[in-house]
Amino acid sequence: MRSAEGAGSMPADTGPDQTWAERFGRVQQGESLRLGLRNLYILPSRFGGLWLAGAGLLLVVGIQTQRNGPFLLGYLLLALLLLALHLTHFNLQGLELRCGQPRPGFAGETLLYPIHLRSTCPREAISLRLAGPTSEGGSVPLRLSAGSRTLGLTWSSTARGLQRPGPLLIRSSAPLGLFVCWSRWQPARTQIVYPARHPGPVAAAAAAGSPPGTAEQDQGLEGSDHWHDLRPQRPQDSQSRLAWKVLAQGRGRLSKTFRDPAGVPLLLAPDPGVPRERALEHLSAAVWQRSQRGECFGLVLPAQSIPPGRGREHRERCLQALALSR
Amino acid sequence: MAAAGTLPSRRLQWLAEGVLALGCVGLDPTWLLGLFSLALVLVAGLKLGEARDRAGRRLVALLQLVACGLLAAQQADLLPSLLQLLAALLSLAGLLQLETGLALAWPQLLRRSLRVMAAALPMALVLFLLVPRVGPFGNGMGAPSGRASTGLSDDLDPGSIATLVDNTSPAARVAFGDDRPPPAGARYWRVLVHPRFDGRRWQRDADAESNRSQPNAAELLMDGNPDDGSAGGRDQVWLVEPSRFTAVPWDGRATSTESNLRRRPNGELRLLRPAHERRSYRLDEQSSPQPWQNQPPTGGDLELPRDGNPRLQALGRSWAGLEDPRQRVQAAEAWFQAGGFRYSTRPGTLPVRDGLDAFLFERREGFCGHYASAFSALMRAAGVPSRVVSGYLGGVWVEPLGGAPYLELHQSNAHAWSEVWLGNGGWQRVDPSAWALDASGRSGSAAEQAERGAAGTNAWLWLQRQWWGLDMAWSRWLLGFDRTQQDALLRWLLGDQRWALGWLILGGAGAGLAAGLLLHRRRALADLDQPARDLQTLLRELARLQVVPSPGETLEQLAGRAAALHPQLAAPLAELVHSHAARRFAPLAGGGETATRRRWQAALRELKRCRRDAIRQT
Repeated sequence: MRSAEGAGSMPADTGPDQTWAERFGRVQQGESLRLGLRNLYILPSRFGGLWLAGAGLLLVVGIQTQRNGPFLLGYLLLALLLLALHLTHFNLQGLELRCGQPRPGFAGETLLYPIHLRSTCPREAISLRLAGPTSEGGSVPLRLSAGSRTLGLTWSSTARGLQRPGPLLIRSSAPLGLFVCWSRWQPARTQIVYPARHPGPVAAAAAAGSPPGTAEQDQGLEGSDHWHDLRPQRPQDSQSRLAWKVLAQGRGRLSKTFRDPAGVPLLLAPDPGVPRERALEHLSAAVWQRSQRGECFGLVLPAQSIPPGRGREHRERCLQALALSR
Repeated sequence: MAAAGTLPSRRLQWLAEGVLALGCVGLDPTWLLGLFSLALVLVAGLKLGEARDRAGRRLVALLQLVACGLLAAQQADLLPSLLQLLAALLSLAGLLQLETGLALAWPQLLRRSLRVMAAALPMALVLFLLVPRVGPFGNGMGAPSGRASTGLSDDLDPGSIATLVDNTSPAARVAFGDDRPPPAGARYWRVLVHPRFDGRRWQRDADAESNRSQPNAAELLMDGNPDDGSAGGRDQVWLVEPSRFTAVPWDGRATSTESNLRRRPNGELRLLRPAHERRSYRLDEQSSPQPWQNQPPTGGDLELPRDGNPRLQALGRSWAGLEDPRQRVQAAEAWFQAGGFRYSTRPGTLPVRDGLDAFLFERREGFCGHYASAFSALMRAAGVPSRVVSGYLGGVWVEPLGGAPYLELHQSNAHAWSEVWLGNGGWQRVDPSAWALDASGRSGSAAEQAERGAAGTNAWLWLQRQWWGLDMAWSRWLLGFDRTQQDALLRWLLGDQRWALGWLILGGAGAGLAAGLLLHRRRALADLDQPARDLQTLLRELARLQVVPSPGETLEQLAGRAAALHPQLAAPLAELVHSHAARRFAPLAGGGETATRRRWQAALRELKRCRRDAIRQT
């Protein structure tokens, strides 16, 4: 089974067990991790302590009344405790984790970090979360069936650049909640984090190197603003673009084509008047905004410049340059 | 994916709570433990209503489990035990549901809960059997109270009873270790001792039922001396219906290791449990006389009011000249047998003044109470310490289809007899009702025969007896394992090597745990459907040939890989792949299912054969 989904940032049960578990235990490193005896930690939960006390109470009652019923149940509770120790451990043991290729995102916003999970047997109630100063509370316990699965874990970063999320905490207390078994792993892959999007002033450099009056200016790109031409209609063309007047004149089915005016390509540059990081954040917002509007723009940074262009790929290139700018 | 905020529904835990509440019926709130369990069930209910988070709901499950154990300490019969088991199973299922956090179907959850419990059971049993028991700290947990009914009463006043109504409600049941009933003549089950006589009534000691929760200073534990003959004694497991007395029936010769059984100096056996509960206890039969039989009489055992029953007193005094008390008893027996006494359950009331005189010298008919009362008074007049004992005589031997055979005592088996002090012979039982046997009508043993004839005619009665048979078997099993039994088991296992006990427990618990885990893993497969299980078998077969599925590989590809490695397996593998696809995906009409399964199995057998051949060749 292969599926990709985002583990939502829903409120999880962040018990006291979770907070100290996060801090204890060696953080494993590497591209992938196979959970086993050497990297799993297990300790009784608070409920496990209460459970032990309950079993003790039953044994005392059994001793005082000399009845076998409470003895039997008391020992059963003890046996369940020891059984749960193994079952909880088995629930995580053998699970394989591997980093996926993370998609870039903006600083200060929710980032998705993909993790591939592979298991040979079904597993219950496993929760994964990326630790970190700004990571969200946690995730819902997951039930895994045998096979592999990709999970998008949420986190966020305040800094731009090549960032790694905090160590991943994988924990489970299934099936009875008597023990908490956990492991910590620092996924090796970095994620590109663009500067946060803060609207603000940006400097516009002159579009040097593009002589005026070239054909490029007339060309523009296919858009929706200005009527440009007619061409024979293709089946995939929208009805609204059909030249009804021409059709009524009996000249056949023709589609209207439109063009956006090609303005002067703008070269964005950091505003020298604001601090550098702030300027990059303004640029990030400007790049995003212009790209959304379909405008043509370029980017000029101290160490790198990107010629004007449009489209998603161009935008990503610009944002990446902003993220990695030194 | 379910949101974490939404916990599974509470219905399962409410159901467990309901079963627990049902199990609480009949608890004694005046007993500390009873009160505690009621409070615990109540707290669990309130917490369940209030809990909004997982931790709270977990706590509810634990409270419910502990409450089950407390109930088990108070009610150990089959029906309550089944209720307790059900409640424990449900609360465990509730806990599992909580942790899995997913809405599994109930049957699946219950099956899972059963599986987890079954996995824990081997280890629990090892601990239960081997971990040495200790005796109660301090005074144990005694129990007060008093309501309910019996055929017996504190005061024996036969003169005031005109007609003895047959009350066939059950009084007690007893099962024996070797499943054989005692001989008919030995079925005297003593309960109450009435040593105080006021000329009309025989009464129990004033302190007999006072301060029920604590044993009196004079009351002794039952254990006596375990070395003298107890090894060969068979055990008796008693189930006693609610009554007004903490005194319970016994044969007067048994011992027990139960800490809440107390023997009074006069031979009454007291169970320090609420009398209005159904009670159970276990005794070991003994052949040697018990200390109470040699407890010398007090002055009270000769007390006879001077005024009243002058003819009785005169008759008694006439035997006082006989030297041996035994001769005085024989004289009385001869006098009764010659007197033409008749046994009657409708003797009418006796006059308030000189009632026994009227019985002995005018009416000459009465029931056991009359005979025991009159005989004991005669013996006192003759200078022989005597008293009246009431209890049960006889009983019906029931052999149910399942479970343990047992002796059933009804309230109509209630009986009274006398005990006389014969010097060095100790207290001896004399049943004067038997002397009226020839006269006609009923005696104790006749009553028993009449009852035996009536048994088994009623289907409802028959059903009840089957149930009671199971109940007896359960009680015997549950009560049977006490400290003595455990000691015997350990002696048998270890001999004198007691130091090895720790290792034995550790090893046993480890083995139990391993068995449980194995069981759990195996049973996890049971959740799959038949084709999926069969597929697992096939994968195991292939794994033996070092062919394991790689990620994303289909069964067909896997089979292809295996066939390339071991060409002789190609044919059966192809058949298996085809068959699996057919079972999984092709819609099958009625009998198609079994037909494809048969084909699958045939192919799998073929595969195994080929695999063995392949291994042999290599």
